[in-house]
Amino acid sequence: MLVLTLRRTFVSGFQHFRRNGWLSFAVISILSLTLLIISTLIVLSIAANLVIRSVQDKVDISVYFKNDTEESKIQEFRSTVLQYREVKSADYVSKDQALDEFKAKNTDNPVIMQSIKAIGDNPLNASVNIKAITPDKYDIIATAIQSSAYKDDISRINYAKNKIVIERLNNVLSTTRKVGVTLAALFSLIAVLITFNAIRITIYAHRQEIEIMRLVGASNPYIRMPFIFEGIIYGAISAIVVMAILLPTIRFATPMIAGAVSVKEVQSNFMQYFWLILFIQIFVGIALGTISSLIAIRRYLKV
Amino acid sequence: MIEFRNVKKIYTGGINTIALDDISFTIEKEEFVSLVGHSGAGKSTILKLLYAEEKPTSGEIFFNGDDISNLSLKQLPYYRRRIGTVFQDFKLLPRKTLFENVAFALEVSDHSDKEIRELVPQILEIVGLAHKMDSYPREISGGEQQRVAIARALVHRPPLIIADEPTGNLDPISSWGIIQLLLKINKLGTTVLLATHNKDIVNRVKKRVITLDQGKLIRDHSKGRYAI
Repeated sequence: MLVLTLRRTFVSGFQHFRRNGWLSFAVISILSLTLLIISTLIVLSIAANLVIRSVQDKVDISVYFKNDTEESKIQEFRSTVLQYREVKSADYVSKDQALDEFKAKNTDNPVIMQSIKAIGDNPLNASVNIKAITPDKYDIIATAIQSSAYKDDISRINYAKNKIVIERLNNVLSTTRKVGVTLAALFSLIAVLITFNAIRITIYAHRQEIEIMRLVGASNPYIRMPFIFEGIIYGAISAIVVMAILLPTIRFATPMIAGAVSVKEVQSNFMQYFWLILFIQIFVGIALGTISSLIAIRRYLKV
Repeated sequence: MIEFRNVKKIYTGGINTIALDDISFTIEKEEFVSLVGHSGAGKSTILKLLYAEEKPTSGEIFFNGDDISNLSLKQLPYYRRRIGTVFQDFKLLPRKTLFENVAFALEVSDHSDKEIRELVPQILEIVGLAHKMDSYPREISGGEQQRVAIARALVHRPPLIIADEPTGNLDPISSWGIIQLLLKINKLGTTVLLATHNKDIVNRVKKRVITLDQGKLIRDHSKGRYAI
């Protein structure tokens, strides 16, 4: 009996959907817009995170040691620093490595290459490059190093120079997060309310049908089910529509932000989130359709 | 079959309106009863109480021995499947074909697909619309829509058909067609309760007439005429 009811109410819901072309089209376009807004917000936050992470990776502080400091001492310093909770990584760069890197960076500049040759000796200092777990920790790390037992061997810390950049980055990060979260919440709320009302209006348009079904002796579940199936169909189709818009858009847009981060990283990240986005869309679509239908129909069932 | 026992109905609201004032009558099996009176006399209220859309303020209403004056929301659909209803505005489902409209009455009461496939064309044949089974209500005339509504009311073979101004929206010729159909149904053994203010129809039918005026039952004649 349950199977029979389910089958009949599903067929009925599908017929409602199909025979009401314009109304269905209107609801699906509104629901699709809702989902598009929500998923665009998700995608944007993923992209923003990627950009932020890559910028964060480029920020560090370098501790340069005096020319006569022995390598073993520098290694000792490195392992001490690594024990700080705030430090993510610390890489030792020897004098020779520093020179090689410097040369590689300036191969196109004959003047610099010439002058290095002229000096003969290696003018660069050995250093340790330190990365913090978050940008706001650099201040603590720099202070800690300056007051450590190694302060006499250190020729200079380039923290001061980077300080302005790091602080600005910190500001941008926290503002972006706050604004992003607020906007996402606001837009999602608006979108959900619009969809909810659109579905309520479609059911309002069919309130007479509900009355007729009651008069013919249909039980409340029997009246409710077709409208719920209709809501599910709206949700599922909207999710597919949005995916059809979103995927090509991501493909097309990726190379544009590739200046900030590598294309490969971006695409692998989106593929990683693809199923999550799809799942969220189908879930949100169906939930919105179903819950709106359920609430809207209550009024006319006098329950 | 139907018994109204001292039924009173007061609509509460801004002003309390006494719709029915101490109404008592019985209707036997296989009777054809016309319920007449001016607008606001209480015809529709009696019908609404019968198909349990409204509850009486006091008094009792029996249908085949069961008290229906206080049905719960759960029992309501099951009770409604025991009666057939026909209305002035037809009340067909606009998104369903004629076949599906009639089939709906059977679907809700869990009839099998096989029964539906057999019964629906049969009943549409009786009301003369079997050839338009796949049309939608908007594609056919008012008289035809009312015949579909009657087919739907009849298809699950209820012992009672309630018709509330079924000819109110129809021209005289279609109206008479509908009344003839109701008479034929009555002849086959179904009780019919017809509310109307169409004088010609009541006088031509020559069956029992109950007359209401301002919520009171003022006349009940077994071979009645329309006279107020």
